[in-house]
Amino acid sequence: MSEECLSSARGTFEAVVSFNRRIGPGFCRLGLEFSGEGAKAFAHFEPGQFAQLDISNTALPSPEAVPDHLRDAAGRNVLLRRPFSFAQMTAEGRKTTGELLYGVVGPATVRMTTLSAGDKLSIIGPLGRGFRIPEGKKTLLLVGGGMGTPPLQHLAQALTSQGSGIEIIAFAGARTAEALPYEGRLDDISQQLGFSLAEFAKCGVESLVATDDGTAGHRGLVTDHLLQWLEQSKLTPDEMMMCACGPEAMLARVSRIAAERNIDCQLSMERRMACGIGLCQSCAVECRVPGSSETIYKMCCEHGPVFDAKEVVF
Amino acid sequence: MGDNIDISVDFAGLKLVNPVFTVSGTCGYADELSDFMDVNCLGGFITKSITLAPRKGNATPRIVETDSGMLNAIGLANVGLEKFIEEKLPVLENFSPAVFVNVAGQTIEEYVAVTERLSSERAIAGFELNISCPNVKKGGISFGRDPEQVAGITSAVKKAAGEKVLMVKLSPAVTDISVIAAAAVEAGADALSLVNTFTAMVIDIETRKPVLANRTGGLSGPAIKPIAVYLVNKVYNEVAKKRDIPLLGGGGIRTALDAIEFIIAGASGVGIGTTNFIEPDCAAKIIDGIRDYCVRNDITNIKELTGSLLE
Ligand SMILES: Cc1cc2nc3c(=O)[nH]c(=O)nc-3n(C[C@H](O)[C@H](O)[C@H](O)COP(=O)(O)OP(=O)(O)OC[C@H]3O[C@@H](n4cnc5c(N)ncnc54)[C@H](O)[C@@H]3O)c2cc1C
Ligand SMILES: Cc1cc2nc3c(=O)[nH]c(=O)nc-3n(C[C@H](O)[C@H](O)[C@H](O)COP(=O)(O)O)c2cc1C
Ligand code: FES
Repeated sequence: MSEECLSSARGTFEAVVSFNRRIGPGFCRLGLEFSGEGAKAFAHFEPGQFAQLDISNTALPSPEAVPDHLRDAAGRNVLLRRPFSFAQMTAEGRKTTGELLYGVVGPATVRMTTLSAGDKLSIIGPLGRGFRIPEGKKTLLLVGGGMGTPPLQHLAQALTSQGSGIEIIAFAGARTAEALPYEGRLDDISQQLGFSLAEFAKCGVESLVATDDGTAGHRGLVTDHLLQWLEQSKLTPDEMMMCACGPEAMLARVSRIAAERNIDCQLSMERRMACGIGLCQSCAVECRVPGSSETIYKMCCEHGPVFDAKEVVF
Repeated sequence: MGDNIDISVDFAGLKLVNPVFTVSGTCGYADELSDFMDVNCLGGFITKSITLAPRKGNATPRIVETDSGMLNAIGLANVGLEKFIEEKLPVLENFSPAVFVNVAGQTIEEYVAVTERLSSERAIAGFELNISCPNVKKGGISFGRDPEQVAGITSAVKKAAGEKVLMVKLSPAVTDISVIAAAAVEAGADALSLVNTFTAMVIDIETRKPVLANRTGGLSGPAIKPIAVYLVNKVYNEVAKKRDIPLLGGGGIRTALDAIEFIIAGASGVGIGTTNFIEPDCAAKIIDGIRDYCVRNDITNIKELTGSLLE
């Protein structure tokens, strides 16, 4: 997670699908395997980085398999690549395997549901800059809203397997229970803790769930839940750090909470991207200039997608 | 195979190793594509538009995908002349493709100032005059619609360009592109490039608002290719052929087959834009594909192909 790991080994590689599993009404988890040069490049893929997938040659599912609300949109053809972060990445010997988690929201992601083991995909990566966790933090708070969980899962996995010793707590929020993009829920954990999510539990990370309608975990916004936790915490701000990914409104709230309490905070931002590799300038994020009232645009695909919360103008 | 095939072209006095350019706004300022291909294999390279002062560009969303195309409204975001000279020009020094700097501005004086400042730089072969950007309020396309204004700005910039080649980039969003093309050539343009993007709009029907923050954007990509081929052929027949002015043709080129269509229509060079985003090494593949086409069709010199359309 250091600056020099900014791998210059980015390139166009082939990935082979190892599985594609539906994990909820609108979400799937996709396993990808890299070999050769791709395995080397993606072995250095850091939590928070992303990759650009070419979905243009992937077939549409049969009409019955397309969700009603996407029936018209799904028929559009797909030209540009699509950006995705990873929820997990493991390098073992000559193979690197990754898992991504995607929400079915439009023509590309509808097509992705037809991928099956053995299919090949062209993928450009690793791209952008991931989370950078400074030394000396005791507790890391992960805050994920809606689909914004994959890079946080990857971060939990990476820190745990490095034996970093940092305590990690994951706050996960969604509109309703069905919209929580998690595969395994351990309902036997006490209601007080909300129920724990297996993706985090397997790295020994406690997870606290909130839904807007109260159908799972706390009722209310994930950021309200975070605030309650912070009120009770005995940690000093320097001992803590927050990493968040999710809808822009949630990121804005997390950023405010962090600023008010002087807690280090990094945000994984999303922008519409045409290239993902710094060519088109489409992915602008408005950022503060230290010591000035001016703002500048930084490119999400190169400077981000992970930004320091203090930089970003909401 | 193909050793005896000559795919080099003469482009307004420049000798290019092949006809393939990567075009403005889709390939960075210099070596941004080099993680993906050897940029020195290109015939020509055109920088992102450079303006006198840096420009922040438009708010987001700046792009949206459409069927077989995309709209962009970047708003000429760029680092500005000084930073370009400081940071990018040294990289371009070692470039073998012919480098064109795409020049934009809000006033004629601004175009002239940028051009003059760069006119003695060794790294630069020529300038591409952008009078066709649809995404800025002042300048851009407002210079490119009226033949008198086109003539005025072309001759002013031609003087500023000194010995360098001046190429004028035409907008397709005009009543008769040949009138504009002729005005540019009469005023001193050494080459013409076409097309820039088509002004277009996408509406979000749930919010009834335009998707792009700028309301409108420029349509590029495969969706525009047949129109662009037609316009290149029209300008070739009506303006370029008799005056021996080379055309850089493009708009939606994805493969060598697309590039060859433009050459047959009348282009001496071909420009690749949007496809760089999807396949960042596409230009190298297109160069190989053009050579293969020549082998298959017994063409020993690509120049035979330019404007070879049979009626
Ligand atoms: C760095 C980065 C990482 C991402 N990681 C993931 C991930 O791990 N899992 C995942 O499911 N998705 C992720 N996304 C979002 C994903 O790229 C889009 O969901 C996908 O491109 C949708 O394609 P589509 O053709 O199915 O739908 P589209 O028709 O392209 O989009 C469906 C809807 O989503 C909105 N949308 C699409 N792309 C974006 C965007 N980039 N930013 C904001 N709104 C957008 C559009 O408004 C549209 O209405 C990421 C995006 C970025 C920029
Ligand atoms: C994201 C984007 C940015 C662009 N920026 C510029 C620019 O700064 N100056 C310019 O003259 N043309 C610009 N263009 C237009 C391209 O150079 C090209 O003329 C146009 O996209 C058509 O070619 P294509 O269909 O191959 O992309 C831009 C195009 C795109 C897609
Ligand atoms: S997506 Fe093209 S510059 Fe960031």
